Amino acid sequence: MSNPPHVIIIGAGSTGSATAHDLALRGLSVTVVERGEIASGTTGRNHCLLHSGGRYCVNDKEGAIECIEENLILRRIMPHALEMNDGLFVALDDEDYAFQEDFLAGCEECHIPAREIPVKQALEIEPFLNPKIKAAVQVPDGVFEPWRFCTSFLATAKKNGATIRNFTEVSDLVFQGSAVAGIQVFDHRTGKTETIGADMVVNATGSWAGIIAEMAHVNVPVAPTAGVMVTIGTRLNNMVINRMHKPHDGDIVVPVRNTSIIGTTSWRVTSPDAIEIPQDQIDKMMHAGELLIPSIKAGRQRGVMAVARPLIASANVDARDFSRTFEAFNHRKQGGAAGIITISGGKTTTARGMAEKVSDVVCAELGISVECKTKTTPLVSYRDFYN
Amino acid sequence: MSLQVTLKILRSRPHQEQRYDTFDVTVPDAANVLDAIEQAWAHHDRDLMFRHACHHASCGTCAVRINGREKLPCIAPVKDYDGGEIKIEPLRNFPIVGDLVVDVAPFFQNQEASDFIITRPTENELDGKAIAHTQGLDPESAPTVPFNRFENCVECGICLSACPTMSADYKFFGPAGLAAIKRQLDKTTDANEREKLLHLADDEHGVWRCHSAWECTEACPQSVFPAESIMALRKEINAQRFKKFFRL
Repeated sequence: MSNPPHVIIIGAGSTGSATAHDLALRGLSVTVVERGEIASGTTGRNHCLLHSGGRYCVNDKEGAIECIEENLILRRIMPHALEMNDGLFVALDDEDYAFQEDFLAGCEECHIPAREIPVKQALEIEPFLNPKIKAAVQVPDGVFEPWRFCTSFLATAKKNGATIRNFTEVSDLVFQGSAVAGIQVFDHRTGKTETIGADMVVNATGSWAGIIAEMAHVNVPVAPTAGVMVTIGTRLNNMVINRMHKPHDGDIVVPVRNTSIIGTTSWRVTSPDAIEIPQDQIDKMMHAGELLIPSIKAGRQRGVMAVARPLIASANVDARDFSRTFEAFNHRKQGGAAGIITISGGKTTTARGMAEKVSDVVCAELGISVECKTKTTPLVSYRDFYN
Repeated sequence: MSLQVTLKILRSRPHQEQRYDTFDVTVPDAANVLDAIEQAWAHHDRDLMFRHACHHASCGTCAVRINGREKLPCIAPVKDYDGGEIKIEPLRNFPIVGDLVVDVAPFFQNQEASDFIITRPTENELDGKAIAHTQGLDPESAPTVPFNRFENCVECGICLSACPTMSADYKFFGPAGLAAIKRQLDKTTDANEREKLLHLADDEHGVWRCHSAWECTEACPQSVFPAESIMALRKEINAQRFKKFFRL
C-alpha cells in the first residue's frame, strides 16, 4: 500500500466531488477521473433544490432526515454558492388541505423547521402564486447551482492535494488476483490510454454505476430513473413552491437566478446516456406548474432537460416510490471483488453525507482511522479549481 | 415528432490537425442544440469533447459558437435553425483543449480578482412586481432572512469570445471580469474596498482598452450588460480622479 493510501474516485458528480473532498481532508492521496465535464451527468441536470426534507417527510422519513441534516451543514460550508430563500408548501384543494396535518407531523418527526403562514402573507411574498391556495407552510428549502456545487468540493479537494482529471474515461479496471488494483483510462485530450494504480477504487458514477460494476464482475441494484424538467424564461417565485401532497409529477417550481424550473416526472430507463425528451412529459409539467403559478402559462419556455437519477431499486415498487436515500456497497463483503466500493442513490443535497459514509467504508477497508471533518470545514471558492 | 439535423462540428486536439466532422442526428421537437451535440456524442463519436452540466443556462459551461454566433446551446432550440446544417465551433479568444472544450482557467482567475461573489444579498422585486418582503408582516411568520439571488452572470465566457478587443489584446481584463468589478462595487460602501476595485479596473488592459464595440452586451445570454458596466466604471474612475485633483 502506498503511503498515504491512494484512492481513485470515478465520477465528478456531486457524490464523487464530495468524496474527493472528504478523503483529501482525511489526508489520503486522491485522484478523480471523470469522462467529461464536471457535473455533466445526473448532478448537472438537476432541479437545483436544496431539500429541506419536506418533500419526503411523510413517505420517506429516512430520506427526509438526511436532507434536513445536510441542508443545515451546506448552509455553513458553502453559503456563497446557495440561494437561501426557504420554500413554501401550498395546499391547492381540499385533499391537499387534509394532507397538511400529516405534513406538519412529518416535519416535526424529522426535525424540519416548519411554520404555517397566513394565505394573505404568502401571496404578498409570492405575488404570482395561485391566489386560490388554501394554506401555506414555510420550510428551509434552498437552491444550489449544480456545477458550482461540485466545483466547490473539487477546488477544496485540489487545495488539499487531490488530482482531478476530467475528460478522462475509464476503459477497464486493473486486477491483482481477484482484487481491483487500479484503472485503465483513456485521456480524451491526449488520445492516450494509461493505467493508474490504486489502493481502493470508489465507483461514484451514479446512474452509470452498473457499467463500472460490470467491469468488476459485481452487481449494484441501481435503477436509472429518468425525469424531465422545464425552465421558464422569467423568475416567478422567490421561494421554492411545492404542492403540499405526496410527491407527484410537476408539483414543484424551483426558482434559480432569473428562471423558474418546473419538475419533475419519473420513469425507468435502460440506458442513462442521452435520454429522449417526450413532449407529453413537457406538457404535463407545464400544466402542473400552472396550477401552482398561473403565470407559467404565459411564460416562455427557456430550456428542457431530462436525465436519469441513480435510485436504488426495490422489487415490486414503482419508480416514484423508490427511496431517495443512499447506500455504499462494499463488494468484497458481498462476496465480490475487493478494492472497489460503489456509492449510489441519494441526491445532491445529501452528497456530503454520502461522501462521509463511503469514506468511512474506504478508510475501514484500508485499515486507517481518521475522523471525517467535512461537517465543519468551509469550502473554498469554486473558482480556485482553476488556480 | 422529431427533427432531423446535420451538425458540422470543428474537431481539434493539440496532437491533431483541425477538421470539421458532420453528424446526422434525430432529436425531439423540443430539443436544443446541446441535446443534438449530446446525441452525436452518444450515438456517433464517444471521443467528441464538449462541456455541459446544467442544461438550463445556469452553469455557463456549454458556451460555443453556433453558425458563427456565441450561444449557450442548452437554450438554443434546434427548430430555430430550420432543418439546415448547424455549424458548431469552440469559443474564440480561449486556448483550445480539444474539440468544443476551451481552457477557462485564465478567465476564472480574472473573475476571482475582484472577489466577485455569485450571489447578491437582497431582492425586492420579482419580474417587475414588488415583493412585500418582511416589512409589515407578522415577524413570527415572515421569512427570517432577506431574499438573495444568484448574480445574472453565469461566467460562460461568451462576452470574451465576442469581444474584438480581446482578440487584439490577450491581457485585456475582459467584459465579464469588468462587469464583475462593477457588481462588487455596487455591493459595497466601504471606501477602501471601492478604491481597490476601481484601481483594478483603471488599467491599460482594463476599462480603457475597450473599443466600445458593444459586442459583449449584444452576445450576453443573461442580460448582464457588460459594456454598460465598463462605461459606468470609466465614469466612476473619472469622477474619483476629478475629486482627487481638486481635493474634494
